[in-house]
Amino acid sequence: MRFGGLKHSTATRHRLSGVVQFVVMSILVFCWVLILPSTVFAAAQPTKPKPAATPELIEEGKVIYFKRCSFCHGLLGDGNGPAADFLDPRPRDFTLGTFKFRTTQSGELPTDEDLFRTVSRGLTGTAMQAFDSDLFKNGLTEEQRWAVIYYIKTFVPEFEDPDFDPYQYLIEVPDPGSMPAVNDESVAKGREVFEKAKCWECHGELGRGDGQEAFDRTDDWGFPIRIRNVTHPWKIKAGDEVKDIYTRFTTGINGTPMPSFIEGVPEAKDRWYLATFIKSLQHKLTTHSVLKAKLVEGDLPDSPEDEIWRSAEPMDIRLTGQVVAAPRWQNPSIELATLRAVYNENDIALMIHWDDPFKDVTHNGDAEFNPADISKVGAFNSYVNPNDTVPRQLETFRDSIALQFAVKPLEGTKRPHFLRGDSSNPVHLWIWKSDLSEQNGRAVEEANARGWKQAHKVQDEEQHQVSSNAVWDKGRWSVLMKRPLTTEDRNDVQFNKGQFIPVAVNAWDGSNGEHDMVMSLSTWHYIFLEAPTPISVYIYTLLAVLVTGALGFWLVRKAQAENTFG
Amino acid sequence: MTTAKFKVNRFWSIVLTFIVVYALIKWGIPAASRSITALPFPLSVPGTLMFIYMMLTLVALFLLVTFSDEYMAEFLGPVKKFLAGGYGKIPRLLVLVAVPLIAGWQVYELTVPKVELPSSLRIQHPSSNFPKTFEALKNPFANPTTDEVQAFLEQAEANEVSFIPQVQADIDAWMDMTEPEHVLSFIPTKPMQKFLDQLDAGSVDDEIAKSALIEKHLFEGRALYAMNCRPCHGDSVAGDGPMADGFKLRPINFTDNGTIETIVEGYTFWRVTNGGPGLPVEATPWDSAMPEWKLNLTEEERWKIILAEYDLAQKTPRIPETH
Repeated sequence: MRFGGLKHSTATRHRLSGVVQFVVMSILVFCWVLILPSTVFAAAQPTKPKPAATPELIEEGKVIYFKRCSFCHGLLGDGNGPAADFLDPRPRDFTLGTFKFRTTQSGELPTDEDLFRTVSRGLTGTAMQAFDSDLFKNGLTEEQRWAVIYYIKTFVPEFEDPDFDPYQYLIEVPDPGSMPAVNDESVAKGREVFEKAKCWECHGELGRGDGQEAFDRTDDWGFPIRIRNVTHPWKIKAGDEVKDIYTRFTTGINGTPMPSFIEGVPEAKDRWYLATFIKSLQHKLTTHSVLKAKLVEGDLPDSPEDEIWRSAEPMDIRLTGQVVAAPRWQNPSIELATLRAVYNENDIALMIHWDDPFKDVTHNGDAEFNPADISKVGAFNSYVNPNDTVPRQLETFRDSIALQFAVKPLEGTKRPHFLRGDSSNPVHLWIWKSDLSEQNGRAVEEANARGWKQAHKVQDEEQHQVSSNAVWDKGRWSVLMKRPLTTEDRNDVQFNKGQFIPVAVNAWDGSNGEHDMVMSLSTWHYIFLEAPTPISVYIYTLLAVLVTGALGFWLVRKAQAENTFG
Repeated sequence: MTTAKFKVNRFWSIVLTFIVVYALIKWGIPAASRSITALPFPLSVPGTLMFIYMMLTLVALFLLVTFSDEYMAEFLGPVKKFLAGGYGKIPRLLVLVAVPLIAGWQVYELTVPKVELPSSLRIQHPSSNFPKTFEALKNPFANPTTDEVQAFLEQAEANEVSFIPQVQADIDAWMDMTEPEHVLSFIPTKPMQKFLDQLDAGSVDDEIAKSALIEKHLFEGRALYAMNCRPCHGDSVAGDGPMADGFKLRPINFTDNGTIETIVEGYTFWRVTNGGPGLPVEATPWDSAMPEWKLNLTEEERWKIILAEYDLAQKTPRIPETH
């Protein structure tokens, strides 16, 4: 019999073409869906010519500014809105006419398009977020963005003065297509420029913002300069692409010590090489949340700089400000910690490293602030004021890090709350303190907590079993912590093979004023010590192969028999 | 016959449908999720849900195949022919060897201990411990009483309007600089401007006074939102504030259709009040960074924030059902 023969009724043929239609439509929908995401994140450039700055449009901009901008930038555009005191960097004071991110020469005003770019895509890593309605359902449309920009310009009298017209001071930004790509050669050339232009004097040899030894520079607004760690792309304010970085060198950042390098590095191509080098320094985050501990033969390393760490899988842990409970902190300095783990039959060693431009190894308990006043119901604000409430200076507070584990093994998905556990689910903390480490004493304090409402309880001295070793080098702390896999103490985490062990991180940068609950934190990640594969797995696999094979054989026999007799 | 050109063998149309459905769920939905949620990462379909969808597809296709004997025969025909060696013995041998190997591989994958967390389905709006007393709560600032409107009108007439302390300094600075005729004129929205015009003319409509009072509440609510909630939920209430990236469980995007629009105001108030720790187990409270705001914000502050939150998201809360 021939398939698809002439015997079909028209009805069945219709049904068949229905299936075909469905398949074709599905493929089309699928293709459409695949190309969508790439179109969503459009460039922050106007798609239409900018409208004229009519009084009506400025009036519309005033309402938008009132609703969306004034709470940070202030009703007067002076950067003194109700939320401003709690932010670092502070919201821009427009009235001074100093704008950081431009495509104009150092010291000049920005073009309308520069402001459009900033409003559209925001300044990453700050409270200034993107306002592009292509990115957010209730962002601002292109026209609304122009309206608010025209209104903001009314705060700055210089925009009226033809002498300050930014369009006469434009700097040419080359088309990335015509410039060198990021490759070994351009990066190597960029590194030479980095050396020659002395970028490392501020940004540090490896770009971690550790070039200066003190906060001895302030910006035009009188706030101490915290030099950018250029290896963290999510903190690069006006864009982390080569073109953006190129623009920063070329224009400088007005109001800050970041100068324009248009004279220091006169060749545009060299500045482009430099930008590719900086781009190459950017850290690429790992995305997994389970860290596989590496089983090693023999002794575990004693040093965080041991060669063995190179072969252990890293797990990046993103940290953020502790905003869950008062005192809240939205200006964290440590936003990334990287964890590695190795173990042998008896012990486990964990190595954690994070960037911190200053090595803070003293602690003055008297300088700690009392959070009681801002933690009450109806207090003015439960967030810490970074410019007033806590001293953010050197030689005041220690750098510190804590690994937090669940005490009880996981049951289903149930875990303690990521902020210090809760009343029925305690956590075990390994708190490493730089001042203790510097004095060569036992630097890791073991403690237990049942929620953040009560202070954690430090375990008795004789129960402290975690040993540590720490190194600070070129703007990075690396801390090794070691302990037997299991202990007798029922308040301790136990590292049993084949179990997911929840781990979270708390971190403090002393010179950022951080201590106690003013800290960075992460949510839960996991450490996993691989157990040998149980024999049952192989048995089930073999059974599956045999049963399926036999079934196939039987079907063939049956089909052949039918064929013979049919 | 013209239709013969497009004829697809029933066997292959069934197989193809199955593959397309799989591809849509496996890659299509995550890709679509990016454009729907505008998040920078795709939301993949959980394994259990995938299994259910594929089972449903299988059942549907089975029904289709067994719809008539004729259809069945046409579907099974190529299978039988293949098994009988009608398409050559070597392909048959290959399939007969490959299928058990694939089955073995799948079983191995399923049973071998994996360093991968079993994904847990999280219920975003759990109501198992949502107290009934909250259900009918109304936002007092969205619908001020006649007395409140009257008191506000008196304040406005005397040009002495009181604000929450958080916004006072900014208003004072603005007053010093601009020396306005009326303190409320810093609010440039239409209802307020209309109110000020009527106030100037000496006769104020009750409804206009009410909407002006709501404008004032909205202003205070937006300021409180910017101070307290914006770090995580963001300027555009899209769940993307500067603190959001550190949390595994991302702050809720209020512009999403499935969030604050689908719940009653009382529920929103309960969530803001009790935060993560107030959630039942099915909502994984241990992963929620949502604070217990009752510890820091007054009831008035929480309600004003909720008023502003719905306004910023351009959403209205669900109306409570009357029992």
